[in-house]
Amino acid sequence: MSERVRVAFKLNGERRTFDVAPGRRLLDLLREDAGLTGAKEGCGAGECGACTVLLDGVPVTSCLVLAASTEGHDVVTVEGLAHAGKLHPFQEALVARGGVQCGFCTPGLVVTGAAVLARAASDASGSAALLAGNLCRCTGYVKVLEALQDAAEETHGPA
Amino acid sequence: MARREGAPRNAGHGPLGGRHERPDARAKVTGGTRYVADLALPGMLHAAVAVAPVASARILGIDTAAARRVEGVEAVVAAGEIPGRNLVGVIFGDQPLLATDTVRMVGERLALVAARTPEAAWEAARLVRAELEPLPGVHDPLAALAPDAPRVHAAGNLIRTFRVARGDTARARASVVVEAEYRIGGQEHAYLEPQGCLAIPEGRQRITIVASCQCPFYVQQAVARVLGLPLAAVRVEQAPTGGGFGGKEDYPSEPAACAAVLAFATGRPVRFVLPRELDMQASSKRHAMVVRHRWGADRGGRLRFAEVDTVLDAGAYIGISTVVAERANVSAIGPYHVPAVSVTTRVAYTNNLFGGAFRGFGAPQVTWAAEATIDRLARAVGLDPLEFRRRNLLDDRRRRICTGQLLPRPVLARDCLERAAGLAGWDEFHARQRDGGAPVREGMGIGLVLYGCNLHHGGQHLDRSSAVVILQPDGSAVVRVGLTEMGQGNLAACQTVAAQALGIAPAAVQVWQPDTTTVGDSGPTVASRGAHASGMAILDAVARLRARLDPVAAELLGCAARDVELSDGFARVRTHPERRVPVERVAAEMAARRIEGISTGWYRSRARRFDAATGAGDPYEFYAVACHVAKVSVDAGLGIVRVASVAAAHDVGRVIHRDALEGQIQGGIVQGIGWGTTEELRLESGRLTNASFTDYIIPTAADAPAISIAVLESEGRGGPFGAKGIGEPSLIPTAAAVRNATVAALGVEIDRLPLTPPAVVAALGGAHPFAWVTEEESIRGRFAEAPASR
Amino acid sequence: MDVPVRQVVRPATVAEALAELAARPDARPIAGGTDLMVQLRDGRRSAACLVDLDALGLTGIRRTAAGLEIGGATTMDRIAAEPEVRRSFPALAEAARAVGAWPIQCRATIGGNLANASPAADTAPALLIAGALLELASQGATRLVPIGEFFVGPGRSALRPGELIVSVRLPAPSTPAGGRVVERFVKVGPRREQVISVVSLAGRAEVSADGALSSVRLALGSVAPTPVRARHAEEALCGRPPDAAARREAASALQRDIAPIDDVRAPARYRRIAAAVLLDRFLDEAAVV
Repeated sequence: MSERVRVAFKLNGERRTFDVAPGRRLLDLLREDAGLTGAKEGCGAGECGACTVLLDGVPVTSCLVLAASTEGHDVVTVEGLAHAGKLHPFQEALVARGGVQCGFCTPGLVVTGAAVLARAASDASGSAALLAGNLCRCTGYVKVLEALQDAAEETHGPA
Repeated sequence: MARREGAPRNAGHGPLGGRHERPDARAKVTGGTRYVADLALPGMLHAAVAVAPVASARILGIDTAAARRVEGVEAVVAAGEIPGRNLVGVIFGDQPLLATDTVRMVGERLALVAARTPEAAWEAARLVRAELEPLPGVHDPLAALAPDAPRVHAAGNLIRTFRVARGDTARARASVVVEAEYRIGGQEHAYLEPQGCLAIPEGRQRITIVASCQCPFYVQQAVARVLGLPLAAVRVEQAPTGGGFGGKEDYPSEPAACAAVLAFATGRPVRFVLPRELDMQASSKRHAMVVRHRWGADRGGRLRFAEVDTVLDAGAYIGISTVVAERANVSAIGPYHVPAVSVTTRVAYTNNLFGGAFRGFGAPQVTWAAEATIDRLARAVGLDPLEFRRRNLLDDRRRRICTGQLLPRPVLARDCLERAAGLAGWDEFHARQRDGGAPVREGMGIGLVLYGCNLHHGGQHLDRSSAVVILQPDGSAVVRVGLTEMGQGNLAACQTVAAQALGIAPAAVQVWQPDTTTVGDSGPTVASRGAHASGMAILDAVARLRARLDPVAAELLGCAARDVELSDGFARVRTHPERRVPVERVAAEMAARRIEGISTGWYRSRARRFDAATGAGDPYEFYAVACHVAKVSVDAGLGIVRVASVAAAHDVGRVIHRDALEGQIQGGIVQGIGWGTTEELRLESGRLTNASFTDYIIPTAADAPAISIAVLESEGRGGPFGAKGIGEPSLIPTAAAVRNATVAALGVEIDRLPLTPPAVVAALGGAHPFAWVTEEESIRGRFAEAPASR
Repeated sequence: MDVPVRQVVRPATVAEALAELAARPDARPIAGGTDLMVQLRDGRRSAACLVDLDALGLTGIRRTAAGLEIGGATTMDRIAAEPEVRRSFPALAEAARAVGAWPIQCRATIGGNLANASPAADTAPALLIAGALLELASQGATRLVPIGEFFVGPGRSALRPGELIVSVRLPAPSTPAGGRVVERFVKVGPRREQVISVVSLAGRAEVSADGALSSVRLALGSVAPTPVRARHAEEALCGRPPDAAARREAASALQRDIAPIDDVRAPARYRRIAAAVLLDRFLDEAAVV
């Protein structure tokens, strides 16, 4: 019989507590226990990036994070990126550029993109490598990278 | 015939051709869109499947006792407990849902489990014990056609043969003849969302399936069959689907049938999502093919004859392999004028991966071969590959294809070639001096496709489409179609076409997910027919609606019904457009008068003639041409092919939504690059040894080349407002262009796809500066030893 | 789906963690989990209990008298960005930036990369040329193990049951008078980013004013059952400039340092050729005046 674990952490700005099975992944805690289905399971092995969330401000693949390990930390999911009804600049830019097709990779991509933008640079041209952990099969990445550049200029001023 | 390029016609009049916001984008960027795995119902169970680990075996027994004892398991189902028929497969009856006596592929389903948690379900599946007696298997399609090959099915391994012949290739005179054998690997779709569905039973009377799929009507048929229900008792709703590319064309019927059987067995909703590794191993794949060529040209560089012998590796079950073969058969020559042609296309069973639909549907493979041979011939006669193509492409004068069909004008092959070459900077590139011995070498290559739009003649009985338009009292409109959105932009296309036809803003049009109880069977969303078939049915629905709407508008406007025009949100008098009333007002008036605001629309393709036995006639209704020119940088030392840029020119008829069109072209190019360079399906006796994203390598954001696009619009027969399809032409020529560019860069032929680094280094052979390290005495001996243990 | 473990413990100090590991033979430590979580899921490794290292403060990079000390739970992202690492151990910084993709780098730790002991471990070649020492702690004992003795076989290391990699110590590199240092890490895979290496090479050499190489250190990954130092190749190059003859000898000697196999990622033939190419390109850099 497994011992349940209590984990308390900040989730999208709000302090939350969960009682979970020891082997629970953060991804399943988010999707099933917290009802935040934005993060997706594309592979379960940390290779596709569809489950990406921010952990203390940096992107991580939540399918590889033990829920118990998030104790005392700060988790932000795609649902937590919009503020006061306004979308994150990268979200707006993706919509404006047409960089969303099937949408399954999109939440993870948005989270990683938000982290790229938080690193403060107007020129996002080197960011393709930083997005390489978010696989997309539909777009060919072109409009995604264009949107990231738009959002970088929106956030940090013209390149 | 007018040829128009670039800007959409009637700019400013309606959304057609624009870049308005895609209707599903906002929900998707916020994580608000719910896919199958995001749906849950109280009491829902989770499904799992026990599968065979070997490719060929006799089943002596299946023991489910241990599986049933796992805590949380509610049902374990074997073949004998299927209420209806134990059969899946769209066309042929060769494939069971659950195996009874024979295993023919790794991943063959043996038993189904439903449990309260996914952990319990998959644990139970692991505990299903199958007693298997291994049988010899066959793992090469040519070997499968040899007389003594192990038989995958009793009737033999040759499923079907297709032919096309024109002229007499045996008597054609050519000064240069090229013979080649191309070994072309398959491809895994790698949609980001794994296969999955949710089955919701109503007693054992009827059932709803919510499925990640491209073809809800195929799913409906499969579920009705395994449950023994009438079609009307099976409702299939397509869930927002995270990518398909053909991989969710016929395959989803299988998990859906599994979930349905379990739902009926337990009386509870059942959700079935495939783990990625099982999805990669067992779901359908692009067919691997062996294509053999014997083509000839004269000294002036004109093609004289082409002989093609193609064998498809269908895997253990036919699925839709014969339909793929039909397209491959007709596409084998490409967009070229060849006076004498002989094409044979055979489909063979093996115990390898399940061959099925994948964007291009047989055309990418034969195109890769055709374009490689074209380049070989160009080199043999001493012509630049661009010039060779100029001399041989079909055009408005020579427009008869290998089946004898006359292409409708305009034939834009040459236009596409020139536009793509121009965008790529072909002449400038070749005018520069390049160092053929440098560690990184550049090359440019060309690929072209002549794509038959919509379904092949053999599939005509499926080529119809149904739509429903419901004008709401506030002037907004509900649209339902039978074709599906999987990321390609069908929702945006339907919204745009409906908005254009109704003269209202796109945001006023809401297209809801396809549901088999709301529209008639509209066939599969395949063959790049989505926008075409949905659009035509929507236009029909709107035309019929206008029979009731126009008289009401006419009354409000004080004109004749035939003079009513709808545009920019208003009903106007055609001759006096300043006299107008908002469409909302007309809609409100219709509602007030209880005039029917709901309208159905129907579309079906025109009948045409084609003889399947000889390949003569009109296999497709109309055609689209595309040309891709790729520039590559090859690290000759490490064998790494990097695609720096692709210039693409596409004959699209009419642009419906510009962002969606570009997105398809960009996505198709990158997926084509993956297929051509890094995506290798590594099999060991039918088992996929690289069934994960770790080792099945698809392009990342860092691999995207610079892509430039030329869009050619033209008048002519075609789809809504003249639009042709883009889903597949966007991928078909890319890998061919990359291969040709790589060969040009390195100066060696490469006849196996994909061009992985080991394959490229192997192709360089002794020309590689370090080839000698594997030849040294001390090393040669090592290869004879047992490998170091791992 | 949950990974199949029955318990997770979250000790607050290293001593507690070591006590937990000593008390339970069926427990494994977990830091970033980027390898372990997949292995637990697939059944390639198992654990009844996971000891979470998150709260132990084993992260951080600090200068010591001897050189640099990196906490065992420091992430790749942190290591790749650290100016002191980039300056003094550029191969390690490049290797950390090459692990997986960015979200993996933000989670994967140097201790985990080493404990997993894959022959393809990205940080290993860089640590081998740096002569790193690993501080291994168990309940009641600490020992220093040179990196060259750490890897035993594919997936197997010198770690004893109950031991943790507390830190990785990098001795300050020598700086030659009147010469320059060339140091590089290169990883070859089937695409630009997010690959398990097919061949990797870390190289360091001191180049004197007349072009002769000294203190040549070469290490490779994915070409043997463990990451390896290429001592025959080093010997062939020491004390001479990397001219054509030296390069040919080195490429030939290299083949005796490696023992690649055919596997799902590449055939052995390709790995031998690619290893020779990587060495040659490293020597290109060393040859530039």
